[in-house]
Amino acid sequence: MRKLWIVAKNEYAKIVRKRSFLLGTLALPIFFIGIMVLSIVTTIGTDQQPVGYVDQTGWLSANAAPPADSAQRLKMLPFVDEAAARTALQNKQIQAFYVLPKDYLQTGKIMAYGWDKEPSAAAQSDFRYFLRANLVASLPQDVRQRALDGINLTARSADGAQEINGNAIINFFLPFALGFFFIMAVMNSATYLLQAVTDEKESRTIEVMATSLSPNQLIGGKALGLIGVALTQIVILCLTIGIGLGLGSNSIDFLRGVRVPWSMLGVALLFFVPAYVLIAGMMIAVGAAVTEVRQGQQLAGALNMLYTIPYFFVIIFMTNPNSPLSTLLTLFPTTAFVTITLRWGLSTIPIWELIASWIILVGSAIFSIWAAARVFRSGMLRYGQRLNLRAMLSAVRVKAE
Amino acid sequence: MTPTVTISHVAKSFGQVHAVEDVSFEVYAGEIFGLLGPNGAGKTTTIRMMLDIFKPERGEVSVLGGAIDEAKKNRIGYLPEERGLYKDLKLEATLIFLATLKGVSETTARKKAVDWLKRLDLYDHRQKKIQELSKGMQQKAQVIATLLHDPDLIVVDEPFAGLDPVNTRLIEDIIREQQQAGKTIVMSTHQMYQVEALCGRIALINKGRTVLYGEVDQIKHNFAGNAIVVKGQGDFTNVPGVLETRHTNGDWHMALAAGANPQDVFKALAAREGLKIERFEIAEPSLDDIFISVVQGNPEALNA
Repeated sequence: MRKLWIVAKNEYAKIVRKRSFLLGTLALPIFFIGIMVLSIVTTIGTDQQPVGYVDQTGWLSANAAPPADSAQRLKMLPFVDEAAARTALQNKQIQAFYVLPKDYLQTGKIMAYGWDKEPSAAAQSDFRYFLRANLVASLPQDVRQRALDGINLTARSADGAQEINGNAIINFFLPFALGFFFIMAVMNSATYLLQAVTDEKESRTIEVMATSLSPNQLIGGKALGLIGVALTQIVILCLTIGIGLGLGSNSIDFLRGVRVPWSMLGVALLFFVPAYVLIAGMMIAVGAAVTEVRQGQQLAGALNMLYTIPYFFVIIFMTNPNSPLSTLLTLFPTTAFVTITLRWGLSTIPIWELIASWIILVGSAIFSIWAAARVFRSGMLRYGQRLNLRAMLSAVRVKAE
Repeated sequence: MTPTVTISHVAKSFGQVHAVEDVSFEVYAGEIFGLLGPNGAGKTTTIRMMLDIFKPERGEVSVLGGAIDEAKKNRIGYLPEERGLYKDLKLEATLIFLATLKGVSETTARKKAVDWLKRLDLYDHRQKKIQELSKGMQQKAQVIATLLHDPDLIVVDEPFAGLDPVNTRLIEDIIREQQQAGKTIVMSTHQMYQVEALCGRIALINKGRTVLYGEVDQIKHNFAGNAIVVKGQGDFTNVPGVLETRHTNGDWHMALAAGANPQDVFKALAAREGLKIERFEIAEPSLDDIFISVVQGNPEALNA
């Protein structure tokens, strides 16, 4: 066990110290947070200016009052007429102004004026809130607050067992983001493992390694190191999303209502690790069987396809999320991760399917590493000789060469 | 005395290729044992079976008192023929990593690595990647990796490959030191003068079989008469009964084919026109001569 950890630690350190890993892992988060910071800086620069309004109805002027949480929102400045508001806009005292025509209460129509662009999202949102606050100002305190805050929806499946997250945007985009991340991770690690195993053969390090530890320890250690790398990427990604949302929700209206669906992320993590180990095992076996990286890449491409199959059936998941095909793809080890994340936001996945899928996936992952170690042992010293499928199967069946 | 290594009638095939058909020898504690043979004879496959990298199809292998297990792997140091180090790792980190895999603590490995690196003049290169080192440096690094964990059984395959004479002498000295410290050494090499200088006993493998096995001195004694040295003028090549002729320092060294008689060779030379023989003597054969004689001329086993 100690040797397995030493290999895992070495493998982990070897990968995370690579410039390509640092670039690949940190580039997206830095870009994402950079965009957030840039948008916030832009917002602070321009969007924090007050917003003006001209009330031709006379209604707002008589009842205007700042909302209770006005400190967090843009300041609203009244103007007697459009000319005065325009002058203030020209002098950059306000970023935009709204005009409530005389028939506003009947039609709901409002005119907005900006200097060279429409009012910012924050200005629009805060002015709407300002109007609503004044419209319901005469209601009792608790009713008024509820009308302003809206409803807090919790949807559950019919049996009450599973919460259905009501956040439609997150439900739609997060599975794709998770799936994309997973496929990227799978493809990256597939390439890396192929390279690592064929390098091991080409550099002849395997002869030294084989006299120090067992193939199981070597392969298990490599897989464990890679899982560590993948988890590091996940943590960095989650931190990025967390920091991004934290920074962004203060200034970007769209992000204010976003709630992170922790249940989906938890299930995704539960499935991610064994799914990752499964592909790791397959790639090690391929790497041990071929003589050149290029040969392995062709096979790896075919194996990667097994992971992307669910994307071809997205329409079926959307129209009939609990169809037999959905169940089949949920239970099949290589398609389980992507299928479950896609289905999670669209329907309630039966608990038995989740449990059965996870057990099958974990079993497949363990078998994959075990079989990979055997194929590896059989193929590792056949320099220049390719192991065909028959020889690979034979290596798995027979105890060892 | 119980042998440290026993190889008994092992065989191994890869598809249609019979890499090893019948190889047997024993290696005793504290000796330097030479494993010789031409390219493709089955030496490396035999070593791999000895080290449990391959399982033999037939025969028995016993190392350090039985089959190799995880604990025994920590007592073995192996230097493969082709350098087996991670090219993109730094030298010191590689040595420490490989030593920890042999059960040495990281602290001890670090300390010992510094000592070895200084001794083999690699200390200033310890932070370089393996691929940035010269061939000779890589070979010395591989030697350190083999010995850092202080193994009881040392198996070295072509340990002098890529080394200049100074470093060759250094590695020779290290091998002798290890023997004096009671370590058992199995050395596979093509360089016969190294074998003569270092090994007490040898096994010669040819076409997957042990064809010669025993003490070096005894083997040379048994082969006396199978080599002659001639001094003279003219062309001494292509003489009947002679397997190989070398012209060295003005002398013609001739390795005789099995069954060839020095007298017959002398008669053949005397009958040849244009030759002037100044000296003709039967020589104690070098291992080189014996190697050629056995590999080219005598396919049958000849155990001393």
